[in-house]
Amino acid sequence: MAERRGGPSSASGITAREAAPDILLQGVTRDFGAVAALAPIDLRITGGAVTALVGPSGCGKSTLLRLLAGLIPPSRGHILVGAETPDALRRRAGLAMAFQDAALLPWRSVRGNVALGRALARRPRDPRADEALIGLVGLAGFETWRPAELSGGMRQRAAIARALAAAPELLLLDEPFGAVDELTRERLNAELPPLWETAGATVILVTHSVTEAVRLSDRVLVMTPRPARIAADIPVPLPRPRAEALAATERFAGICAAVRAALRSAEPAAGPR
Amino acid sequence: MRGPGRALPLLGLILLWEVLARATAQSFVIAAPTAIAAHLATHAELLLRALGTTAWNAAQGYLWGNLAGIALALAAVSAPRAERILSILALFVFCLPLVATGPVLRVLSGPGNAPQVALAALAVYYTTFLPVLVGLRAAPQSWFELVRSHGRGPLAALWLVRLPAALPYLAAGLQIAVPAAFLGAMVGEFTGAERGLGMLTLRALRGLDLPATWAIAVIAALVSGLAFHLAGRLARWLDPAPPALLPAAPAGARPLRLAGPLADTVLALAAGGLLWAGLMELFALPDFFAKRPGDVWAFLVTDAQAGAHRARLAAALGQTLAMAGPGYLAGLALGAGLAAGLTLRPGLAGLAMPLAVALRAVPIIATAPVLIWALGRGAAGTVTVVAVMIFFPTLVACLSGIARTPRAVLDLFDSHAAPGLQRLLWAQLPAILPAFFAAARMAVPAAILAVTTAEWLATGRGIGALMAVSAATSDYAMLWSATAATGLAALAAHGAVAWAERAVLSRHAAEQVAR
Repeated sequence: MAERRGGPSSASGITAREAAPDILLQGVTRDFGAVAALAPIDLRITGGAVTALVGPSGCGKSTLLRLLAGLIPPSRGHILVGAETPDALRRRAGLAMAFQDAALLPWRSVRGNVALGRALARRPRDPRADEALIGLVGLAGFETWRPAELSGGMRQRAAIARALAAAPELLLLDEPFGAVDELTRERLNAELPPLWETAGATVILVTHSVTEAVRLSDRVLVMTPRPARIAADIPVPLPRPRAEALAATERFAGICAAVRAALRSAEPAAGPR
Repeated sequence: MRGPGRALPLLGLILLWEVLARATAQSFVIAAPTAIAAHLATHAELLLRALGTTAWNAAQGYLWGNLAGIALALAAVSAPRAERILSILALFVFCLPLVATGPVLRVLSGPGNAPQVALAALAVYYTTFLPVLVGLRAAPQSWFELVRSHGRGPLAALWLVRLPAALPYLAAGLQIAVPAAFLGAMVGEFTGAERGLGMLTLRALRGLDLPATWAIAVIAALVSGLAFHLAGRLARWLDPAPPALLPAAPAGARPLRLAGPLADTVLALAAGGLLWAGLMELFALPDFFAKRPGDVWAFLVTDAQAGAHRARLAAALGQTLAMAGPGYLAGLALGAGLAAGLTLRPGLAGLAMPLAVALRAVPIIATAPVLIWALGRGAAGTVTVVAVMIFFPTLVACLSGIARTPRAVLDLFDSHAAPGLQRLLWAQLPAILPAFFAAARMAVPAAILAVTTAEWLATGRGIGALMAVSAATSDYAMLWSATAATGLAALAAHGAVAWAERAVLSRHAAEQVAR
């Protein structure tokens, strides 16, 4: 793995690599005290693909993401990323997560926070690659700004840049575009996928937006609320790269409708967007 | 334009002071500025030398005390299981009255400035330990998860998250420590030094030298205020936008149970007793003045005279608590009440805040002789010293608590054009609570310090006077017993306040307790 991280680096700082291994969940549950947050989940997530998790608020999407990050252990069952546990993957700096609240360190500038992702993953300093990432998420010119001076959407973009700077094999995004304005969101939806495709990273994305899930992912998993289980597994066989115009096609609309229907049956009270 | 504009009220104040002093010259309470100035001019050399001594002692104590506070906080955060016990022990030592530890250290070290330095260190370590500990733990969970998600361990979390997050808290602690160090050094000098402002204060008090007493208080206030200001500049340089500082009650992950804290307290006290006895054995200190826990136990329980000893101690402690209690409550009530009142008149609050902050820089104890002089050696003087000691920190804490009312909440009230009183009761008072309780906790050791110092210096009653007499007559068993009893009483009072704090905040500000 070490030679992979030391391998040739593109201008964006993302390292090209072979397809990432599949992720396998077998009978995975997670309890918080007496509350079962996850019903037993059996799932295979294809390596190198983009998987979107959608579901009503508080249904356990973030819990599943944290399990996949190795931040919390499953109560029962096990998770394997290729041959190793998420915890082992985490310990050898193979994954990165963009947190819902951005989790930028307030005393570091945008540049400092992006460099932190690289440093935490024990990768050599690379200011030029950091600049490129900052530009990619649309923060060029804000390199020296502190998180407190940024808007919510800018903070989330900085957090995404920081996660990408770690050149992860597994990239976990917890509602990364929640506070991003519509136009920027469109732009990121168009510009980020090529980036993680080049990297060959497996991407798992939690989102509230059905169109975004369909636009970005190869597969949408619809989750039910507590205890969470996978209610529907909807493939997105759309060609890449996916231009904005794709969203106007009938095929796209059909998949979105299928996801919405699955959401509606999962949680009758929660109307989909 | 700015300079003269600011100096004008000050000039007026001095003028008023002068007039007041001259009008009340018969009662012999207030020294006129001109008399103080005259004293300063005629005794400049003596005062400067004394100031140099005191400042040097304070500076050394400041250094050691802060280093100890930081080291303790790092120890507590790296051994979470020991954190509560460490916190209780640190608090207990902080609650020991300086007027008792002073003479003990004096006997241990002989003449010289070691006791003053030690007392200055004792006066500052806790107010650094507490905010630094909070700062080390203050980071949100997701920052630690970020570090963990990249497979990095506790050391990386300490270096990348905890230490930088604690920096502004450290800066605040370092600032508060300035007057505290000055105060500790002066109390150290009260208890038998040959040089320094504290010694001059004692001499002025005994000689009924009104201008000298005032002059020393003014010098102590000015120098300490200047140093406080410089420390504040340093803090702003470290972090231009400091976070809201709310040293929460030492809280583990454990739920709110009485058994847990009680067991921890017993454990902490046992550890303290072992440390106490162990240190004495280690340094082979003579039994004559270095009383072990066993000696105190014998003195108070198994000795033939134990009953009489207990009665004397209890009577003195009772007198002290009868002074400290009302002073404590009055100081808290006045501080919080004035803060609330000022909120209804935002213009006034803008004026009061800088004044209160400035007064926080004054080692209040330096003004104790002046207050006692003004109000007499009876109950009024002592209660006032305690109340004043507590009033200013409480006022500052509550005003800054009000200032931290979330903007969105205030906007909500404004959008309904809610009257000021409703805003105060529903939005701002709840926002005060965490700051108020933090102040109330820190006020317990402050009240003990104030009341014992006043008793030691002036009133001749209570535990402070008992300590003074015991120290003077080499009755070390009584001195140690009185010290331990006072520390325990302070610990109990602190525990009661912390319990009330958790009970109230768990309903009103759960996010503060969750830490």
